[in-house]
Amino acid sequence: MTAAPASPLPPPPAPAAAREPIFHVRDLARVYGEGTAAVTALRGVDLDLFRGELIVLLGASGSGKSTLLNQLGGLDSPTHGTLFYRGWNLGTADEAGLTHFRRDAVGFVFQAYNLIPSLTARENVALITEICRDPMAPEDALELVGLTPRMDHFPAQLSGGEQQRVAIARAIAKRPEVLLCDEPTGALDVHTGITVLEAIERINRDLGTLAVIITHNAILADMADRVFTLSDGRIINARTNARRGSVRDLAW
Amino acid sequence: MSLLDRKLLRDLRALKSQALAVALVMACGLAMMIMTRSLILSLDTTRDTYYRENRFGEVFARLKRAPNAVREQLVAIPGVAAVQTGIAIQVTLDVPGLPEPAVGLINSLPERGEPVLNRPYVRAGRLPLGRTTRGELAVGEAFAESHGLKPGDTLAAILNGTKQTFRLSGIVLSPEFVFEAPPGAALPDNKTYGVFWMPYKELATAFQLYGAFNNVSLTLAPGASEGEVIAAVNRVLAPYGARGAYGRSHHPSHRRVDDEIRVLQGLSVAFPLVFLSVAAFMTNSVMSRQIALQREQIAMLKACGFSNAQVGAHYFKFSLAIVFVGVGLGAVGGIVLGHRLVEMYHLFFRFPQLDFVLDSRVLVAAAGVSALAAFAGVAGAVRRAVRLPPAEAMRPEAPASFRPALIERLGGARWFTASFRMALRNIERRPVRSGLTCLALALATGILIVPNSFRDGVTYVIDFQWDIVQRQTVTLTLVEPGPARAIADFRHLPGVELAEPFRYVPIELRAGPVMRRLNLQGLPARGTLSRVIDAEPRQLTLPAHGIVISAKLADILHVRPGDEVIAKVLEGRERELSVPIVGLAEDFAGMAAYMELHALNRLLLEGDRISGAHLVVNAGLWPDFLAAVKNTPRAAGCVIKNSIRDGFRKTTAESIGLLQNMYLVFATIVAFGIIYNSARISLSERARELATLRVLGFSRGEVGAVLVGELVLLTLVALPLGLLIGSGFAKVILASVNTETVRLPLVLTASNYAFAVLVVALASALSALFAARKLADINLVSALKALD
Ligand SMILES: Nc1ncnc2c1ncn2[C@@H]1O[C@H](COP(=O)(O)OP(=O)(O)OP(=O)(O)O)[C@@H](O)[C@H]1O
Ligand SMILES: [Mg+2]
Repeated sequence: MTAAPASPLPPPPAPAAAREPIFHVRDLARVYGEGTAAVTALRGVDLDLFRGELIVLLGASGSGKSTLLNQLGGLDSPTHGTLFYRGWNLGTADEAGLTHFRRDAVGFVFQAYNLIPSLTARENVALITEICRDPMAPEDALELVGLTPRMDHFPAQLSGGEQQRVAIARAIAKRPEVLLCDEPTGALDVHTGITVLEAIERINRDLGTLAVIITHNAILADMADRVFTLSDGRIINARTNARRGSVRDLAW
Repeated sequence: MSLLDRKLLRDLRALKSQALAVALVMACGLAMMIMTRSLILSLDTTRDTYYRENRFGEVFARLKRAPNAVREQLVAIPGVAAVQTGIAIQVTLDVPGLPEPAVGLINSLPERGEPVLNRPYVRAGRLPLGRTTRGELAVGEAFAESHGLKPGDTLAAILNGTKQTFRLSGIVLSPEFVFEAPPGAALPDNKTYGVFWMPYKELATAFQLYGAFNNVSLTLAPGASEGEVIAAVNRVLAPYGARGAYGRSHHPSHRRVDDEIRVLQGLSVAFPLVFLSVAAFMTNSVMSRQIALQREQIAMLKACGFSNAQVGAHYFKFSLAIVFVGVGLGAVGGIVLGHRLVEMYHLFFRFPQLDFVLDSRVLVAAAGVSALAAFAGVAGAVRRAVRLPPAEAMRPEAPASFRPALIERLGGARWFTASFRMALRNIERRPVRSGLTCLALALATGILIVPNSFRDGVTYVIDFQWDIVQRQTVTLTLVEPGPARAIADFRHLPGVELAEPFRYVPIELRAGPVMRRLNLQGLPARGTLSRVIDAEPRQLTLPAHGIVISAKLADILHVRPGDEVIAKVLEGRERELSVPIVGLAEDFAGMAAYMELHALNRLLLEGDRISGAHLVVNAGLWPDFLAAVKNTPRAAGCVIKNSIRDGFRKTTAESIGLLQNMYLVFATIVAFGIIYNSARISLSERARELATLRVLGFSRGEVGAVLVGELVLLTLVALPLGLLIGSGFAKVILASVNTETVRLPLVLTASNYAFAVLVVALASALSALFAARKLADINLVSALKALD
């Protein structure tokens, strides 16, 4: 069993460097397949994402949102262009480097929750805190998402919203720099969706975590600092909200 | 080809390594089945043909001396078909290149024509001509081979005190000596014991037996009762010092082959049973998984109007493909192993030709039982699948529900890591599957114990027999029992440091309906060379009255110390005596009965007589001693401990080595196959979970650890369980293999256990690594996709 090597990631930022982007993306492209069967999922994407920001990605189905998020999360490498995480070249990193990056810097939240069915809520979180550098206690993470009473339940005993909040607790327990959420409320009703989004918003606000949320619900754009709209693999619109609305106040 | 069949082929291709793992395990059982059944057929038919063509007798008797005219009386016995009388006599041989004297059993050939019964089969050269040429001898193949003797070579033998040189006319075999070994020996010792044939006149003249015979074989008329004929033969021969007639079932050579066939019969059932059960379980887990993955497809097929039977048949065909490969591999394996074993049989059994004959019926049976095993494996999974209403099958399976493992509920939870808990809970969620996986691994461990316990048993017996029981360097036998003062002559041979007399008398021991023939040994009350040892092991002192017998013999006769047995003396004046059993001796080869020497002589009413002596000879004077013995006319036989010991060791090493390798391969295949399949199935069932872990920052190695954690735990439970099961196997198999001629004690050593654990652990670890390579194929992005 190979353990991941010592972290190649840069040290945590000094306060002075706060305005350095966390992600620095230039002319990013991702092409699936080759020749006539090639599908260009991303083309010429330029982005700079900063600490503490809450970003929303909008776009039609197939526009490349998930592809972009996967690039940021180190699940996939670009075909072309540059992708830097705090000055470290993510685009050319090797397997061990990417594993370390995901382990220490990134929290993922999936549409399908992806909890381990054989572990309780607390253990699902502990699974991650066992392997990372400077985690919070699993109980504290669950408290942040308001799940203290259901800590010892198995996924099969939790509602969808509760499962998604466990997934968020799991993602944030490692105190990640970045929280990447791919349609986190896609499988939830409005009310439950609000609870989940509130949890994300709170973490973003309280811990200063950069949060990137993919959604099909344009109304959610109001909770973001910045909103990017993708179409056919390009960013066709970038908008900065002067004032960020809280999830509760959005016009559902 | 129907589209369903095309789907079948593609599914098979996708699952090829798992299907192969199942087929290999199946093949192990089938190979064993095909090999053993074919060997039984080979031995059985070869022996039958040989017996028939060379007219092997059905009833046998030895006696001291009867005039040839008595033959007519035997012919006249109702139920007797044919009678062959002749002379068989033991002599000392002087073989060129062999420092020690060897023992030869010389059989007579009729003066004219072929023998009526027990016709020798000439392998090379010819039989001695007798009428025209004197001084010729035909030699048994085993002895000839071990000395590299060819027709035309010469050999010296001491015939009734006179040393004569003979020319070997040919190399022959005989149905009487398929197992060419001295009476009572468990293994052949072809260096120091041989069988020979010589014209009647020459042999009879040398021993002053001309016009007489000391050996009879006869065959029975159809429908005749063996028991009645034996009784009649005994009546006819009683006045001539007969030692009691016996049927084929007591014939040492015949019996040895029977024993082998019995062992093969046991193996032909037990082995396939174990392996096919494991294969059925593996088929079940592979198919269950396959069917779970294809829920929607099954629903679609049913929605489109395919019947339950068609869907069921589709999956059954899948397992038939596995059977097909399994039977193919098993047949090849069985044939290859069978040939190897037949080669090994040449060490023990001498037939004109022993070929491996493939029992074609067993191929059909093998295909049948493995199809049955596969069917048993598939049936449950298919039934569940076809029962599912199509609408329900269209939905993905409900998420698995878990609960804390028993050990956690008992309060052991605190110290466990999350991945360890996952393993525990996964095991507990599928108790049957986990249990069977564990059991299969335990079986793999267990079968490794068996051959090594044989080996250790043999080592123990060798040490016991030749370090504790028989401590002489050499045993000398007299041509005929002689006066006790002969011991003084032996003491004067060069180099003899210690000599202890013994007396052998052939007897028949009877208790109720059970009877056994053996040599009763008269020994000094508490000798230092050939000793009587009990189970402790502790030396027994032979009391002035009563008899000590082998524990095994007491078992057979159903007697205990304190009981009386009837001993019928089969030599000299025939007498029947009732003697008390005063002790039980431990021995591992043949059966024995002991009495204090003087007590025995008193019983025989013969005065002080001995059959020979056990000697300790100074190593420095060994060549002088041997030279002197070869020229001592009174010494009929000379058995040298170390040469028997080496022969025994060599023969057993060869046969056990073959077994060890066979079982090693089988155990490795099972361990490898079980672990590989389990790992692949969990990989498939938990692909999403494992991909999620990778996305969450687990390295490939860490995810691999989660994947195999469960299997590591199961293996840890399986290993000790396997040692237990293996010890049980060894015990049962030894009990069934143990015959009256060979017995092995159950010896279980730490190194045997360690080896089994090591092999299974290694095979499992390699197999898990092999399966875990598939982790590289897991698509991380797929984990993020929403469930459909
Ligand atoms: N592994 C792949 N191989 C080939 N093409 C792919 C692959 N993954 C994505 N694509 C293609 O890339 C394009 C962008 O896909 P992506 O999943 O990023 O879209 P999306 O914006 O997330 O859509 P949705 O809102 O439906 O999730 C699509 O045309 C898709 O078909
Ligand atoms: Mg998407």
